[in-house]
Amino acid sequence: MRSLDPWLRLVGKEWRGLLASRAWWVLIFLIGPLVGVTFIGAMRIYAEASGLGGTTPGVGEAFSPLDGIWLPMFIAYEIAATFLLPFVAIRLVTGDRQSGALKLELQHPMSPLARIAAKALVLFTGWCLAVVPALLAAALWKLYGGNTYVPELAGIVLGHLLNAGLTIALAAAIASIAENPSTAAILVLSFTVGTWILGFVASLRGGLWERIASFTPEAMLDRFQHGLIQLGTALAALVLVAVGLVVSALWLRLGVSRQRRTLESVSVAVLAAGLVVGCSLLHVSWDVSENRRNSFPETDQEALAQIRTPLSIEVHLAPEDPRRSDLEHQALSKLRRVMPSVNVRYVSATSIGLFEQAGSGYGEIWYNLGGKKVMSRMTTQEGVLETIYGLAGINPPQDAEPPFAGHPLMAEPKGAAALFYGLWPACIAGLGFWILRRKS
Amino acid sequence: MSEMNRARPSIVSVAGLSKTYGSVVALDDVSFSIRRGEVLGLIGPNGAGKTTLFECLGGVQPADRGEVALLDGHERVRRGDVLFYLPDGIAPWPDEPVDWALQFTLDFFGGRRELYGEISHRLDLAPLGRTRMKALSRGQRKRALLAMALLTPHPVLLIDEPFEGLDLRQSREAAKTLRRHASLGRTLFLSIHQIIDAGRFCDRFILLSGGRTRGEGTASELASLAASRMDGKAPGDFEEVFLALT
Repeated sequence: MRSLDPWLRLVGKEWRGLLASRAWWVLIFLIGPLVGVTFIGAMRIYAEASGLGGTTPGVGEAFSPLDGIWLPMFIAYEIAATFLLPFVAIRLVTGDRQSGALKLELQHPMSPLARIAAKALVLFTGWCLAVVPALLAAALWKLYGGNTYVPELAGIVLGHLLNAGLTIALAAAIASIAENPSTAAILVLSFTVGTWILGFVASLRGGLWERIASFTPEAMLDRFQHGLIQLGTALAALVLVAVGLVVSALWLRLGVSRQRRTLESVSVAVLAAGLVVGCSLLHVSWDVSENRRNSFPETDQEALAQIRTPLSIEVHLAPEDPRRSDLEHQALSKLRRVMPSVNVRYVSATSIGLFEQAGSGYGEIWYNLGGKKVMSRMTTQEGVLETIYGLAGINPPQDAEPPFAGHPLMAEPKGAAALFYGLWPACIAGLGFWILRRKS
Repeated sequence: MSEMNRARPSIVSVAGLSKTYGSVVALDDVSFSIRRGEVLGLIGPNGAGKTTLFECLGGVQPADRGEVALLDGHERVRRGDVLFYLPDGIAPWPDEPVDWALQFTLDFFGGRRELYGEISHRLDLAPLGRTRMKALSRGQRKRALLAMALLTPHPVLLIDEPFEGLDLRQSREAAKTLRRHASLGRTLFLSIHQIIDAGRFCDRFILLSGGRTRGEGTASELASLAASRMDGKAPGDFEEVFLALT
């Protein structure tokens, strides 16, 4: 306990530093109205759609709270994690260096990793407090009579917590290396913009770019937002968080030469790259969405799991062709989760496929199961399953599951505007003013 | 004083310490030792490498070459257990009050609680207790920083410009306080650019110029060394010794 005592003192100091940080108060202040805008907007659209539609299978999917409420509402957190949280983290990491406190604190024989862990813990706690408006929105939704499927809501919260962890780790690493807060802020934003560009290039070029882009925080978050928890993705995110913090810790050691710190950082990055690639080979995943949007019906899942022969699929569709997106989301991504060995290869000469349409092979999807080959052009879930069952010589199972009926709700978001635009900002402004004044 | 100093064992031995910034040589093969319980002054002109030497010893900047042996090479001792370096011109924890900063120093470093009252009184910090660090004047901040250093448990303190920013009265009080702590067994290594102050205050001196050690010893030993460089002519005061050797 005695050896833990200085670390707890450090955590206390970092916490006071966070409370003294105007950047954090701005984040907490703004997150309320941001959640308000997205939640109230989503509620209105959801209510309008509920009043217009019935609950037939096709329309029912539109009434999933995951798509209709949680996904749009949590955009507020994506914005905050991209544009506000990095500045809070940079301020906390560079503040000690700028004031000279780091030179004093470094003389305690505490490991640099423990130092950065104290900062990360405080920053993460600070971010968790920012999640309060989302919980208030969830409570309001429940009050309005909305249905809440806890696993999918927990999944989306987990995704955003991991995303915040990645942001904190990245900002900490860059802030430790760059020393100057302005440089660090520019570099962190450049990284974010870089991942957007990578995503754009991936959507145009496909192939290797697509695989690399699947490791960006945006792609990781997208899976969680669609109710899919992949063990590999979660572990890769944790590895990247750990790498960011380790690199930050390495660069906090002012008494070690830059060359050595650089070499150590590169070694850690190489090791992490290996671990992330290893994580990407894990195919364990959980579909936590209520409408099982990432899975085939149970009977199909069972039938497909029995096919042990490796299945190869060659898709002649360009990356920008909407049929390719349909095929990927409606069938192939689900297939990868349930079949032990599926190998999908996309083949195209152009990005949009517009000028390939005339080619005889364009649009063809070739299936090869244990040497038996068949071609199909169908990109729907039903079409793909039918082709695979035909190849495997399996009778298509009878669909025993009732279609997801959805949860329509015709309710106005009463009181939400007052809570998110009035009460929350007023409380935070008052609390922040009181705390900052007490410290002065 | 000289005989007593010679009898003291060395607590820190520095050998061949070198540091360059690109093509600028900040420290060039610097060697000396710090003896237990002494007040050692580091004096030298601006740009001599005093702060670089302190930062390398304090472990907040890497040296290119050289050895720093602690407690006669006792292997199990870490630098952070023996040395505490107080830089000049820092304003740590700017949003926190002085009382908090002193308390944090005590808690974080496991400092000497029994000294808190005495140090706070001698450095006249009681009226500043609730003032935030960033709101302190230069002299007030220096007093608070000196208090922090004295509250740490480290046996050797490296203090860069301990009297910088203090007025005459405050300088004298700070000097008395430091002296008292030295007499209690604390070893002090102080970088002082005011030669007269240094001459009055320190037991021994390291003369640093151009990144090199130009002399090490008591005032009289350095005076003898200076005389040998001035063709046997005795230097008038400590300033002349400094000018002759640097």
